[in-house]
Amino acid sequence: MSFLKSFLLLLCLLTGFSGAVIAQEDLESLRPLVNALAEGKFKETEQQVADLAATGNPAVAPLLEALGNGDLQFRKSDKAVFITRSAGKGYQLIDPLTHEVAGEASRSEVTKIKVNNGLRRSIRAALGSLTLMAKDPDVRKTAAAAIFKAKDPEAIESLDTAIAKESDDDVRLVMEQARAAAVLNSDGGDADRLEAIDVLASMGNRDALSLLTGFAASAEGEQKAAADKAITRINKSLALWGNAQNIWYGVSLGSVLLLAAIGLAITFGVMGVINMAHGEMVMIGAYVTFMVQEMIRSSAPWLFDYSLLIALPLAFVISGGIGMAIERGVIRWLYGRPLETLLATWGISLMLQQAVRSIFGPTNQEVGNPSWMSGAFELGQLTITYNRMWIIVFALLVFAGLMLVLKKTPFGLFTRAVTQNRRMAASMGIRTPWIDALTFGLGSGIAGIAGVALSQIDNVSPNLGQGYIIDSFMVVVFGGVGNLWGTLVGAMTLGVVNKFLEPYAGAVLGKILVLVFIILFIQKRPRGLFALKGRAVEA
Amino acid sequence: MTRQSSLLYLDGVSVSFDGFKALNELSLVIAPGEMRAIIGPNGAGKTTMMDVITGKTKPDSGEVYFNGVVDLTGEDEASIAELGIGRKFQKPTVFESHTVWDNLELALKAPRGPFSTLFHIISGGEKTRIEELLALIRLSDKRNELAANLSHGQKQWLEIGMLLAQDPKLLLVDEPAAGMTDAETMETAELLKDIARTHSVVVVEHDMHFIRALGVKVTCLAEGSVLAEGSLDHVSANERVVEVYLGR
Amino acid sequence: MMTSFLFRTLDARAGIFIGLMLAAIILVPALNLLVPEGSTFHVPTYAVTLMGKYLTYALLALSVDLVWGYCGILSLGHGAFFALGGYAMGMYLMRQIGTRGVYGDPILPDFMVFLNWKELPWYWYGFDMFPFAALIVLLAPGILAFVFGWFAFRSRVTGVYLSIITQALTYALLLAFFRNDMGFGGNNGLTDFKDILGFDIQAGTTRAGLFAASGLALVVCFLICRAVTRSKLGKVLVAVRDAESRTRFLGYRVEHYKLFVWTLSAMMAGIAGALYVPQVGIINPGEFAPANSIEVVIWVAVGGRGTLVGAVLGAILVNFSKTWFTAALPEIWLFALGGLFVVVTLFLPKGLLGLMDKGWSALRRRPAKDTAAHGAEPQPAE
Repeated sequence: MSFLKSFLLLLCLLTGFSGAVIAQEDLESLRPLVNALAEGKFKETEQQVADLAATGNPAVAPLLEALGNGDLQFRKSDKAVFITRSAGKGYQLIDPLTHEVAGEASRSEVTKIKVNNGLRRSIRAALGSLTLMAKDPDVRKTAAAAIFKAKDPEAIESLDTAIAKESDDDVRLVMEQARAAAVLNSDGGDADRLEAIDVLASMGNRDALSLLTGFAASAEGEQKAAADKAITRINKSLALWGNAQNIWYGVSLGSVLLLAAIGLAITFGVMGVINMAHGEMVMIGAYVTFMVQEMIRSSAPWLFDYSLLIALPLAFVISGGIGMAIERGVIRWLYGRPLETLLATWGISLMLQQAVRSIFGPTNQEVGNPSWMSGAFELGQLTITYNRMWIIVFALLVFAGLMLVLKKTPFGLFTRAVTQNRRMAASMGIRTPWIDALTFGLGSGIAGIAGVALSQIDNVSPNLGQGYIIDSFMVVVFGGVGNLWGTLVGAMTLGVVNKFLEPYAGAVLGKILVLVFIILFIQKRPRGLFALKGRAVEA
Repeated sequence: MTRQSSLLYLDGVSVSFDGFKALNELSLVIAPGEMRAIIGPNGAGKTTMMDVITGKTKPDSGEVYFNGVVDLTGEDEASIAELGIGRKFQKPTVFESHTVWDNLELALKAPRGPFSTLFHIISGGEKTRIEELLALIRLSDKRNELAANLSHGQKQWLEIGMLLAQDPKLLLVDEPAAGMTDAETMETAELLKDIARTHSVVVVEHDMHFIRALGVKVTCLAEGSVLAEGSLDHVSANERVVEVYLGR
Repeated sequence: MMTSFLFRTLDARAGIFIGLMLAAIILVPALNLLVPEGSTFHVPTYAVTLMGKYLTYALLALSVDLVWGYCGILSLGHGAFFALGGYAMGMYLMRQIGTRGVYGDPILPDFMVFLNWKELPWYWYGFDMFPFAALIVLLAPGILAFVFGWFAFRSRVTGVYLSIITQALTYALLLAFFRNDMGFGGNNGLTDFKDILGFDIQAGTTRAGLFAASGLALVVCFLICRAVTRSKLGKVLVAVRDAESRTRFLGYRVEHYKLFVWTLSAMMAGIAGALYVPQVGIINPGEFAPANSIEVVIWVAVGGRGTLVGAVLGAILVNFSKTWFTAALPEIWLFALGGLFVVVTLFLPKGLLGLMDKGWSALRRRPAKDTAAHGAEPQPAE
């Protein structure tokens, strides 16, 4: 009965709003019908329930629900009917129509209106038809969905009436599906059932599949054949949706990889600097988010929904600043010596990790999701969570923004000039050291804002960056160094491939396979997917 | 000349990088014992041609044969070097952290496998040969100097010495006179002429004085194919050669 | 022939190093076993084990120096070969436990009983025999290195790219060995060893023996590395390091040279791992962590790459400091290690040995070019 309860609860909530419009006299006109319940045997009660339902007034629903649960009693003194709630030794009396508390009564003062199983069934049907007729389409839809789950053959009749009257296409569809479910559960004729199988087949989800599988197990002849056919059809469409879901997860993982790798694509891809502390820039971005949220929690909780927007520029500036300091302090002395750069930046990453560990402690920090990033919605058979969706959007925005900066701004022009021919650029009057520092700062800053996004889906701990560094390098190398589009395609490909491998190989083995795949791939195309071919350079 | 009787035979070789045609239907034949000078403006495809012959770049189309029978397009750098084609780079590349002696010893014709070199003990004959080469390239007193400490001209000579140590049938020499004084340039020309007596040589050079000093057949390349071929006077009288050089 | 091959290239520094090592191999066990415990000259067993551990690290560093210092291959995955050698030894030690395990199964190691496995997986066969295990200590890292190198060097993956895929290699192995169904004890790895070659693994004498074995292995591998790097092959390796393409045009098949030295180096790393495991008493997937492999590189850089002795010196110095720091100032250790990476790459490109050479020649007022007599002096690979 839990489904009934839950949908009635919803109903009460809904009618709580719409019910206010219903005039008081409407309710009072029901009063005699309600009080009539105090009289008569089961047979009469059944008739009375039907009469109440026939009014189509949603206010009747809680009353019938109470009746079904045995909570409807009448006062012996005046035969007035109340919904009762245990209160101490006696009962609290609640008016069945207005839901106002109408006093108390001891146990001996009231008598329960008796129900048996037959009556309960009628109540359920009455409730069903009552809600199927409700004014609010959402209520009607919920009711139909509840019937679908209950597969109650008794509801077929009320569904038929409701379908005939229904004006909303969406709701009618749900009602027809509910009817089909009920029909399969009843002992209807061939034609009726085949039609029902058809309806369920076009529904195409797991619910329909389990219904049909259950049915096919006991069905015979033409019906069984039809059901089996429907099952294959649903399985096919489910497999399609499954692929779509995998692609979605893959794109989601790909966007995370893209965020982590895109800063690296600049420092490694454009500048040729191997920055092993890149992951720590991401980690610092995540900690900036944490600090911003801490401050908001303690001083301005109403700003919480904007915490990420506040953290973004801060993370960019802080990570970017640290990046520039690293470039000026260490990396600039090592240009042209990539292996040394790799080692020095690894040392820096160790120090940054330890610094964060000393300041914030080694444990995970709590970073909350703002309301617009929590929850999920459904698209067909896909479940899409808001945080994943926003991260994909965000990753693409960052990518587009970066492309714009590099292609359309003077800074981007200078950067490309310096990376292509440093001496020529210098002789054109470009301050190459500044461009180096700014480019490195840009790459690091982007890592910082990636950290803001990743704080929403990953544990914020000093080791956060370590988990991304190898993957990010793989993405950049796979996509082709020096090519941002390659990074995009590389990230998405690796994300999707990873998610498609997971169901077959498991998460860990999937990851290993991807690594092996990349190792083999680099053998074939040592310069990545989108390698820039050039004139063979001298030894 | 037919392919069979040639030492080096290039026919219809094309190479392109991202749409840019570095070599365009290039055909060139070098006879055994010949010395040939190749000239051409920047981007004419001289270095790419060397890359194709030595196996560094694979041609998109065309034939490259050595000794008339060996298809070079199927071989890698190491095996082409072992076949007897030596190359000197435009920028002198010697092994800077090795001594002059060691540079020559490494280049000396000997088995090239890891295990032969692991157990290799230098023989008297090899020592004599290195001494000879040191004398030839005038670095005898620098034998224990690190190659990194040599002057630019000395590095060029050391590289030529290494080329000779390989004892190749064909030498490809890319701008040997670049960065040399006039006196050094002339000495280098003499050295190359000396070498040409016993080897086939292809020289790429910009310096017309140098080419004149060599006094050999000249091929002018432009935009990836042969523009003119013949004596230097013949080639420099060619109107189109003048055109590409002066950029009219 | 073989001995002349090994010893023909000894110079003063190598001589001093070998002398010191041989002295340590004899003295440390002697001071541990023969001098009574109260004496100031007594070396406690834990110190013997600690020093033994340093020696295996030194051997690992030596193997990295061979490929990095002489051939320019910066491996960020040598920990993988070390760990594979360690696992091979660990498997032998596991089989030696016999019925003394918690579950008392004569064949199956405890973790397999715990996982409800009924039979020994095929790849555990033969590990009850020491010679077989010893062979695998060499073969497992060797074959992996050979296959990996064959692919990588043939397609000319070089420089930073190679470094990154070596890192990916050890990372992939890390993930793989964490899995229980791989049959190597998963997360916990292999531990609770009882004895080795019939000797109690906890006993002082065994510890002293393991120390001596580590020292001996280090000396022998040092001699091999020395012989290799001083041969003509060693000169080719340096040539490859400095101008790979030029070496090809001389007719050397660079990939074969790289493959040779890479595989040799991996096998040495495997020996180091095999000696490490009985001394620390455990091998787990953590040894595959990429961070460990990078740390080895800094040991080499600290001592001075391309010098062999420097790698040993660096490994011992850095690990000694690590032991001291993690006991006295644990918070500071990662700062110190990180700082070391930065300082060494910026200010000490030739490491401590380079510094010593400089000081030495300044002291004797001799021009720097005399160092040429040493042959291959370390130069930045790029």
